[in-house]
Formats: sequence, C-alpha cells, structure tokens
Amino acid sequence: MPHMITTMNNKGASLKGVLLVFLLISNMFLTKKSVTSLPICPSGSVNCQVSLGELFDRAVKLSHYIHFLSSEMFNEFDERYAQGRGFITKAVNGCHTASLTTPEDKEQAQQIHHEDLLNLVLGVLRSWNDPLLHLVTEVQRIKEAPNTILWKAAEIEEQNKRLLEGMEKIVGRVQPGDTGNEVYSRWSGLPSLQLADEDSRLFAFYNLLHCLRRDSHKIDNYLKLLKCRLIHDSNC
Amino acid sequence: MIMKASLAFLLQEPRGMDLWQLLFTLALICANDSLPTSEVPLGEPQIIKCRSPEMETFSCHWTDGDVHNHTAPRTMQLLYMKRGDEEWKECPDYVTAGENSCYFNTSYTSVWIPYCVKLANENKVFDEKCFSVDEIVLPDPPINLNWTLLNISLTGIHVDIQVRWEPPPTADVRKGWVTLEYELQYKEVNETKWKELEPVCSTTVPLYSLKMGRDYEIRIQSRQRTSEKFGEFSETLFVSFSMASETVLCAEEIQFPWLFIVIFGTCGLVVVMFLILFSKQRLKMLILPPIPAPKIKGIDPDLLKKGKLEEVNSILASHDSYKPQLYNDDLWVEFIELDIDDPDEKTEGSDTDRLLSDAHMKSHSCLGVKDDDSGRASCCEPDMPETDFSASDTCDGTSDTDQSKKISEKEETLLCLDQKDNNKSFTNLDDPANQQLISQSEDNQSRPPFADSIESPSPVPPVRTQLSNQSSVTNIDFYAQVSDITPAGSVVLSPGQKNKTGRAQCEAHTEPAAQCQSNFTMDNAYFCEADVKKCIAVTSHEEVEPHVQDQSFNEDTYFTTESLTTTAVNPSTATEEASSSEMPVPDYTSIHIVHSPQGLVLNATALPVPDKEFMVSCGYVSTDQLNKIMP
Repeated sequence: MPHMITTMNNKGASLKGVLLVFLLISNMFLTKKSVTSLPICPSGSVNCQVSLGELFDRAVKLSHYIHFLSSEMFNEFDERYAQGRGFITKAVNGCHTASLTTPEDKEQAQQIHHEDLLNLVLGVLRSWNDPLLHLVTEVQRIKEAPNTILWKAAEIEEQNKRLLEGMEKIVGRVQPGDTGNEVYSRWSGLPSLQLADEDSRLFAFYNLLHCLRRDSHKIDNYLKLLKCRLIHDSNC
Repeated sequence: MIMKASLAFLLQEPRGMDLWQLLFTLALICANDSLPTSEVPLGEPQIIKCRSPEMETFSCHWTDGDVHNHTAPRTMQLLYMKRGDEEWKECPDYVTAGENSCYFNTSYTSVWIPYCVKLANENKVFDEKCFSVDEIVLPDPPINLNWTLLNISLTGIHVDIQVRWEPPPTADVRKGWVTLEYELQYKEVNETKWKELEPVCSTTVPLYSLKMGRDYEIRIQSRQRTSEKFGEFSETLFVSFSMASETVLCAEEIQFPWLFIVIFGTCGLVVVMFLILFSKQRLKMLILPPIPAPKIKGIDPDLLKKGKLEEVNSILASHDSYKPQLYNDDLWVEFIELDIDDPDEKTEGSDTDRLLSDAHMKSHSCLGVKDDDSGRASCCEPDMPETDFSASDTCDGTSDTDQSKKISEKEETLLCLDQKDNNKSFTNLDDPANQQLISQSEDNQSRPPFADSIESPSPVPPVRTQLSNQSSVTNIDFYAQVSDITPAGSVVLSPGQKNKTGRAQCEAHTEPAAQCQSNFTMDNAYFCEADVKKCIAVTSHEEVEPHVQDQSFNEDTYFTTESLTTTAVNPSTATEEASSSEMPVPDYTSIHIVHSPQGLVLNATALPVPDKEFMVSCGYVSTDQLNKIMP
C-alpha cells in the first residue's frame, strides 16, 4: 500500500508538473496573441514612438489649421472679387469630391465604421492634392491678387500634404497591412481656372475655394469625431 | 453708378443752386449706401437669419415687414431646396421655432449640402437665401456658471477666482461633433464696458486680481472654433465681494513707500560721500586701477637696453625655467667666419649655418627649401643621410647644427661601416648611444630640445665640432663635441679624440661611450646635460675599431628618451670601469680658429675638470656655476 501511495504521489507530482507547464505555455501563447492583436508598432513602421493619440492630436491640429486658412481665404476672395457679381445667388456648383459618399449628418457619421471613415478622409485629401497644386499657380495669375491669398494657397497646399502623410500613418496603425484601394476623385477643373473671360474665371475660383472650405470643414469634423471616439472613448 | 451720375450732374449744373444741390446729392448718396445690398425694399418681409445651434438642426426666422402697407394677411411660405432636389419644398415645421420661423429637424438637415430657402407667398418671392448648414452654426450659450475662490492676496485687497461652466446641452461636444470656444467677459457692476478674456477651449478659466469690496458680473459666449461669430451670451453671473470687505482694515491701496526710499537713499548717499571724501585715492584706485606695465619679473628692461647682458643673464639664470640666453654680441663675432661657397646661403642662413655650412648643405637641402627663418623647412623628412642635409631651422634653431652633425656623422659612420664590417665587436654602450646620437641628429623634427640638452645646454645653437672628413687635420683633436659655450666666449667641449682623421672619424662614434647613470629620470624628456655627457662621453682610451652597429641603422630610428635611457642604463654597469679609466681631458677648450666650413681649431688650453658640482646640476648650467669654472 505505501508503495502504491508513493507511486500515486509521484504520479500526482508529475501530473502537477505537466499541468503547470501546460499553463505556462498556454499563458505564453495567450499573452502573445493578445499582444499581436493590438499592434503598437506594426512591422515596417519606422517611427514607433508616437502614440496613436498623439498622431490624432497632430492630425486634428493640422485639419483645423487648414480649415481656418481656407475660410479666411474664401472670405478674402469673396470680399475682393465676388461682391456685386452675384456669385452667391447662383447655385453653387457641385464639388469634384461629391462622388465620395461622405456622412452628411451626425447619425450617419456615428454609424459609419471608423476604418471606412478614415479611408474616406484619405480619399478626400488625395482628391485635393492636384487642385491645390494648380490653385497655387493659377491664383497668381489673378489680376492684383493680394499676397495674403497667395500665401494662404501655398500654405494650404503644403499642410494638406502633411496631413495626408499623417493620415496615412494613422491608417497604417489602425488597420495594418490593409493597403486598401486608393479611392479619390479626379479633378478636371483646371481649364475653368484658365478661362479668358475674367468673370467666368473668377467664378471658377470662387467655386473651388468654396468647395475647399467645405471639404476642409468636413475633414476637420470627421477627424475630431474619430479622435473622440477612438482615443477618448466618446468622452471628449 | 448713382454716385457717378450725381457727380456728373453736379458738374453740369449751372452755378446757381450749387450748394443745395450738392447737399441733396450727398444725402442721396449716403442713403443709397446705407441700403441693404439685398434688393428687398424697406418694409417688405425678409429673412432675418437662419441658424443652426448644434449642426444637427437649423431654423430660419423672418420678419413680416410692414404690415400696414398690405391689407390682406399674407400667408407666407418658406420654401427650401436642397441640391439634388428637383423643386422647392415647403417648410416642414412652422411652429417649433416660434413665430415667423421654420424649423428643420435632424431628418431634414444635411450638413455640407447647400440649401436655398425663399420666402414667398402665393405669387411673390420676397427673399431668398442660399447657405449650407456648417456655415450658419451659432451655439447656444453655456450653462451653469459658477465660481470658486482661488486665493486672496496677502494684503487682502485682491482676489483670484476660478469660473466654471458647462457647454450648451444641445451641442454634442462629448462626441466631438461640435468643438466650441468660449469667451468670458466681466465687469464691475457699476461699469459700462465689459472686459474680455482670450477665447479658451476649456470650460473653466481663472480670473485674477478682482478687487475686494466690489461686485462683478460675468458672462460667457461661445462659438464654433472655426467660425467668427459668437452665439448668444450666457446668463450673467454675479460675483460679490462687498460683504466681506467690511471687516478688512486696509481699504486703501498701499502707497508707494516714499519715506523708506528717502531714508535709505539719504543713508546711502552719506556713505558714498564719506567714502569719496576720505579715501579719494583708494576710490580712485578702485574705480580706475592702473594697468600694470608689462615687465619680466625681476628684470629691469633698462638693463636690456643698456646692454648689460651679464646681469641679465644672471638674472635669467636664476630662474630654473630659463635657459640662460646669452646675448653676447662678442660671442657671435667669434663664430662667424664668412667663408661660404654659396652666396645665397650666406644671405639666408643663420649664423650657425655659416659656421658649419658646407657645399653639401645646399645640395641636400630638403626639397630645395632654403634655410630661412620662416620655419618652413623645419619639417623636412630626412630621407637619406647624404641627401638630407636640409638646411632647416626648427623651432629652436638647433637642427642646423643637428644637420651638420648628422651629415658628418653619417659620412663618418659610413666610413666606419666599411671598416667595421669585419669587426663585429659590439658594445652595447657605444653603439646604441652612438647610433642614437646619429639618429637623433637625423631626426630634426623630434626633440630639438632633447637634442639641445644632449648636445649642449647652451642657449646659443651649439656649434658642432664634428667635422667632415674633409676638414683639415690639425694638431689637436679633430673632432670634439661642443657641450657648452660659456658666456665668456669659450666653447665647452667634451673630451675629444686625439687620433687621426680617419680613425678620428670613427672614433667620433665611439665618443658616445655611454657611461650613463642609472639615475636617469625615465619620464624626463630632458636629460641633464651632464648626465648625458657621461653617456656619450668620449672615451679616448677606447679603441677606434669600428663598431658594428647592431641596431638597425636606418634613418627612421628616432631618438627617443626611452631608447637613450635604456641604452644608458644598460651600459651603466658595463662601462663603469671604462669610464673610470678615462683619461681626463679638457672639457673646455676655447676655439682658436674657425675653419670653414666645418673646422674649428681649438686651443689646447687645458682647463680644469669641472667639479662634480657642475655635473650634478641637472638642467641648465647657471652662469654662476660657469663663472666658477671658468677663470
């Protein structure tokens, strides 16, 4: 009997050992899995120190700045060139980014998945790369264009590029490995900016600046929404 | 247009009623300008504003206009059209927003889409406006204003408070749909003008330096961050400090403490006056310290001017760090024997060059660089002993002599090498030291001071008495190493060889028979002249058999202190007896004639062997010591 007990004890001890080892290994695997499920630094990323919250902060600052500049530029242009021409009363033409279906009110914005919204933001930003570039060059051809407008155009163009970079980084963090198809709207308004008729040309500018103000406001709002949702857990 | 017309009219008008017409026209113009740009005539109903408080709904308000002009009550309609709509639609809600208003709830509101609304009754359109919802956001005012005390100043007069509020309930700030900015305004109750603070994004702001005993009013307005217009003001917050002030004693502000200033100022002035009056000189010294004239410590510059060099030398010699620079013109005179083949050399070379120059110097100049005082040639690399007779002057000008000695020694060495080939006798003591001496002289870059100390401690570039094999054989020692030059003008030589030229040349190499003391300081870069002299003291009794240079005799061996030391140490034991049997030879021999280019005929006067005292003195020989030795 005692022999049996000892063997049983031994077996119990060995069982315990096996169980312990099993627990350890499983724990290892589990933690590893949990780590991989929330990648802080996905493979291939160069800069690993900036947190997502900080990235969002910077993005929001940039988008806010861009919208601020766009508003001012539009107001200046409006004051200087659009008065008395009846631009306001004319139905404002659609913007080239209308093809991208963006949420139009709060409910829609809340229902959309954050990854889709991020991709939309990227799409809008990409769509404005080309128009901004041409805006900078064409606005200089406006007769007696004030320096402030010229400077703002250049600044917006540059900040837009930076915001695009930042957003691509964020997208890389939030959905790693998902390159996604690069959706963006093509802009074909360059000829209208180069019309011979000054009135038509100025109206084209007015339209473009109006669209810019609107789109920059959209992006600013979406990013603030995403920031509060993802970083502050809807409690800004 | 009207202005132009009126102006034209004015100009054409006859002069009669000028003033009245002018005034009338002006009045017209002014009235014209003040008319609203929208073409609605006065009294007609018009849309005052459309506003969205939170970017989720919006409403439009209009005025009825002047009712009296119209008899029938009108049924006004507000029609709207979104982009993408085909036709005008009627307002969905006339009630919620009040009278003469139209309210669009969330289902009718799309944010970034242009709307057009028009006010019309059945037939006539009164007003039309186009906008998008994001442009017309004017937030509701903040709610729940309150304040807390931060602190009261020590005097009890000023108070700091912290004002807090909450964002308008309609605006969804938590989800970030709307981002608000707040501006706080405050004023004292009996004031009329509001003071404004900078807009802040947080819902709390401190107010500093409110006065005790006064009452204040605070109000806050908010706006969306990216827009310019503020919404409505919040309710006014009333802050009262008047009740607490009754117990405060100091009602008045602190006056500027004039009394203290006057008292302390007077005291200070009195002190300063005392200082000035009673210690003018000291004050002057304090304020304007005299600039010390530069002078060498202990030396009167007049001495130098007058030319009393002995005194200067003695003074200088008393300093350990000084080498007694002997600026005796007379000395130079003896040395300068201008019999140089190359006239250029004469003009450019230093005195030592002239003294010791030979035809080789010119031809072996390092890269053709002539010796001048520029020091450019100082870093010539010694290539081959024969060719590298560079007329370079190093930092302290001793290399000239180094070079001369080197070349001569090289030649001797080569000569000796022929003789030495069969004789493999190698004495450690001689050869390394000897060779090092040679190599040391080869190395005109390194250790010039070392060389200096080795060869001679004299400040004057020591004259090398190593003569080339071309030098004439005279009665006495052909080669003698100059170890020092006394202030009196005599050359201090180490005991030289008495043999003939050929052998003398070889013997020259034996001169550096090292009889080195082991009391060398290993880390001392500068060797005592006396000590080194012992190392390389001429051993006249030694045979002049050529010494095989066991050590690699190449130009690259540099004379290092270590090597010298080691060699010095090594033979110390071996040559003890050797040196003891050394024949006493005069250490000092005055120069009789200077044979050009390398010859120095020495007087045969024997001078007393210097004392041990002289030997012991490490470093530099002071003139006192020299004077003791010399007559």
